[in-house]
Amino acid sequence: MRRPDWAPETIDIDRPSAARMYDYFLGGSHNFAVDREAAQAMIAAVPETPLIAQANRAFLRRTVRFLVDAGVRQFLDIGSGIPTVGNVHEIAQSVAPESTVAYVDIDPVAVGHSREILGGNERAVAIQADVRDPDRILDHPDVLKLIDFGQPVALMIVAVMHFVRDEDRPTEIVARLRSALAPGSYLALSQASGEGRTSTEWHEANAVYQRTDRQLHNRGRDEIARLFDGFVLVEPGVVWVPEWRPDSPHAVEEAERSVYIGGVGRLG
Amino acid sequence: MIRDPDAMRYPVAAAPGHGPGLAIFARAWAKAVTGTSYLPVTPAQLEEYLEGLTLRLVEALYEEPFSLRRGYQIGSDLVAAHIASAEGLGRTIEVIDLRLLRDLGLSGDDLRDRMARLLGTVAIGYARALRDRTLDEQESIRRAAMMAREQAEHALRESEARFRHQATHDPLTNLPNRALFTERLAAVFERDGGSERRLGVCFVDLDGFKMVNDTLGHHAGDVLLTSIADKLRRGAGDHLVARMGGDEFVILVEDTTCTDDVLKVADAALAAVSEPSTVDGQELRVSASIGIVERPVAGTTPSEVMRAADITLHWAKSSGKSRWALFDPERNERELTRYALSSAMPAALERGEFCLDYQPLVSLADGRLLGVEALVRWRHPQLGVLRPDKFIGLAEETGLIVRLGGWVLAEACRQARHWVGLSPKAPFVSVNLAVRQVRAPGLVKEVTRLLREHDLPPGRLQLEITESAMMHGADESVDSLRSLADLGVRIAIDDFGTGYSNLSYLRTLPVCELKVAGSFVEGLRAPGSLTDERILATLVSLAHTLDLTVTAEGVETAAQADRLRAIGCDAAQGWHFGLPMPPSHVDSLL
Repeated sequence: MRRPDWAPETIDIDRPSAARMYDYFLGGSHNFAVDREAAQAMIAAVPETPLIAQANRAFLRRTVRFLVDAGVRQFLDIGSGIPTVGNVHEIAQSVAPESTVAYVDIDPVAVGHSREILGGNERAVAIQADVRDPDRILDHPDVLKLIDFGQPVALMIVAVMHFVRDEDRPTEIVARLRSALAPGSYLALSQASGEGRTSTEWHEANAVYQRTDRQLHNRGRDEIARLFDGFVLVEPGVVWVPEWRPDSPHAVEEAERSVYIGGVGRLG
Repeated sequence: MIRDPDAMRYPVAAAPGHGPGLAIFARAWAKAVTGTSYLPVTPAQLEEYLEGLTLRLVEALYEEPFSLRRGYQIGSDLVAAHIASAEGLGRTIEVIDLRLLRDLGLSGDDLRDRMARLLGTVAIGYARALRDRTLDEQESIRRAAMMAREQAEHALRESEARFRHQATHDPLTNLPNRALFTERLAAVFERDGGSERRLGVCFVDLDGFKMVNDTLGHHAGDVLLTSIADKLRRGAGDHLVARMGGDEFVILVEDTTCTDDVLKVADAALAAVSEPSTVDGQELRVSASIGIVERPVAGTTPSEVMRAADITLHWAKSSGKSRWALFDPERNERELTRYALSSAMPAALERGEFCLDYQPLVSLADGRLLGVEALVRWRHPQLGVLRPDKFIGLAEETGLIVRLGGWVLAEACRQARHWVGLSPKAPFVSVNLAVRQVRAPGLVKEVTRLLREHDLPPGRLQLEITESAMMHGADESVDSLRSLADLGVRIAIDDFGTGYSNLSYLRTLPVCELKVAGSFVEGLRAPGSLTDERILATLVSLAHTLDLTVTAEGVETAAQADRLRAIGCDAAQGWHFGLPMPPSHVDSLL
C-alpha cells in the first residue's frame, strides 16, 4: 500500500541509504556507520564498486560540460543524491555562471544536505520528490522558479533508474518528463546494467541493496536504450559510461566492467 | 570541496631547467592517485595541478632554512583538490620518494634527509586536512539528517492538523461538521461545573432550499449554502456553528443562564439568514426555521437534546416556517401519544379493536325512532374506550381513514340489516363519510356491494358528509353522490351552519337532510336570546322549501326539544333523546 498523501516520508537513518553509500564510494564522509557497513559489503561483493561509482560520476561531469558547450543553461537533475564533489551546478556555473540547476531527490537527508550546500546560490534549488511522480516534479513551484520549460533543459537522470521497478514503468516516466521539454532539450541518463558481471556478483549486490532504502533493478543495454525513445542520441550513443566522450584514451580500459551504461539524447 | 574547478589550475611558475622531467613526473603522480577517490577534473587538469605542486615540492626541498610549513600546506592542498583518501596519500609518498629526484634530475648534499622531512610534513598536513574534512562532512550530514527529521516531524504535525481539520470540517462551507459538533456537545456534558450549568441548541434548516437546488442547480445551491454559512458564523458570534449536512446547521450555545440567551442567538441567526445572498449574479433571499432547546445539562443527554431540537424544528416548519419554535415538553408528550396511537391503529383495525355505538335520531313530532348515527369507538387495550375525536384526525393524517371508514360502513350495514330483520320499525343507520372516502373512486361500487350483500333496503342507509366535502368535491364526488342517491341511499349534510352554509349546492345536489350543528341548538338554552332561534327557524323553513328534512344535533334538554318542535324542526339527536349506545340496546328500543 502506498503511503497516504497526507503522511510525509519519515526519516530512518538506521537504515543504509543508497545516496550516502554512493557518497562513500566516491570517497566522501557524508555517511553514517550503517551506510559504510553496507557499502563495505558491496565492495566485498564487487571490489571495483568505488571505481565504478567514480566512472559514473565522471560521466556526469563530462555530460554537463558537453551540455553547457551545447548551449544548455538549465539543468533538472533527478536523483541528485548527496551533493558530494563535482555537482552539476559547480560544473555548469564554473563555465556558464547564469546556469540554473534544480536538484531532485527522494531522500530527505540528501535534500536537506543539498540545501545546506546550496545556501546562498540563487540559481540552484533542491526539492524532495520521487522520480516516479514526474508531474509533481514538473509542477513544483521551486522548480518552475528556476526552470523555464519553454527553453531547452538538460534532464539528468544519472544512476537513478536502476532503483525504479519495471512495474513503475520507467519508459513512461521518462516519456512524461520528455513531454514537458522544449525542442533543443537533452536527456543525460545512465543506469546499472545487468551486463559484464557474474551472476554471483549480481546476487550479492542485490542482497546488499535489499537491506537499504532502495532495491536494484538492472537493465540491459537495449532496455536502457529504450529510455531514450523520442530523443536523438548524440555520439557515441548508449555505451559503457567510460566510453562516452572520454577525457583521455586510457580512461576506457576495461570499460565493459564498469556496470553503468548511459548516453545523451537530444530532443527535436 | 572545490567550488571552482579553475582553482585546480595552479599557476605553474616558470621553472627553467626542469625540462620534460616535470611533466613526466606529474603524469606518473596523476596516474598513481587516479581512482583513489573521485576527482572532479579531467586528467589534463589533474596533471597541470600536480605540476604546480611538484614545483612547490622542489622549492621546499631547497629552501633555506628548511620550513615545515611548506610541506603541511602541500599536504593540505592535496586534500583540498579531493585527492583525499588513505590510498591517495600512500601513493603520493611512494611516487614522490621514488621518482621526484630522478625524474627532475635533482641533486644536492642532504637531499635524502630533506626529502624524508618534507614527506613527513606533507603526510602530517595531509592527515590533518583529511581529518578536518572528514569531521566537517560528518557534522554536515548529521545536521542535514537532523534538519530533515525536524522537517519531516513538522510536516507530519502539519498534515495531522490538516487531516484533523478535514475530518472535523465540512469541505464546502469550512464550518465544523457533525463530528466536531458531536464532540463539542459531548464535552459540554463531560465538563465539570456542577448541576447548575445549562446549554442551548439551535437546529437551523433553510426553508425551500430544495427549490433553489431544483430550479437554479446544485452549483447555485452550494454557493447559497456557503453564503448562508458565512452569515450564520457572523450572526452566531462566538457560538459554535456546524453544518450537519444538506441545508441543516446547528448552533451550540454553551453556559446559558436562561432561555432568552438562546432566543437572542436564534433571532440573530434568522436575521442573518434573511439577508440577501448573491448567487450567480442574482440576489436570493431565503428564510430558515429553527428548533430551539434550552435546558439544564443535568438530567439530559446529548442525544436527547438533539432529538428534541429536531422535533422542535419540525414544529417551526409546520407552523409556517421562517420562525423559531421552542421545545415544549408537554406538547412533545402529547405528540408522542398521538404518534403511538397513530402507529398502533392499523394493527388495531386488524385485531378488531374498533366497534360502533349508535345514537338515536328521534322524530320531534311523535317521538318515534327514525334512525341511529353510527359512532366509532376504539377499545384500546391500555387506554380504554377512545372516542373518535382522539383518533379520527390521526387516521385522516395517515390515510387509514379510508380503510377504517370502509369497516365502519360495512359494520353499520350489517347492523342495519339485523334491525330490519328484527322489526318493521327498524331505524335507518347514518354513517359519517370522511372527505377521502367521498373522493375515493370505488365508493358507489362499495355501497352497492354492501347493500346487495346484506340485502339492505337503500333507504335504511344514510351517508353523512360535511359541507367541506361538498364544497371542495370534484365533479367525480358529486357524480358518486348522485349515483348513491339514485340507488335510494339517504344523503345528509352534517354540521350544517358551521361551514360555508352555501345554499347553491342544496339546489343541485341529491341531499335529503340537513343536520344542524349543535352550537345553534345550544343557543336555545338561554332564555330571551332569540337570535339562534330565528336562525334555526329560517334554516328549517328554507330546508322545507327545498324539500329537505332537518335534524338538530346536540339537544340536551326538554326545553330545547320543545322550542325545536315549535320551530318545525323534523328530528333531533342528543343526550335528551339518548346517548350513543351499543347495538343490543337499540334492539330493546324496537
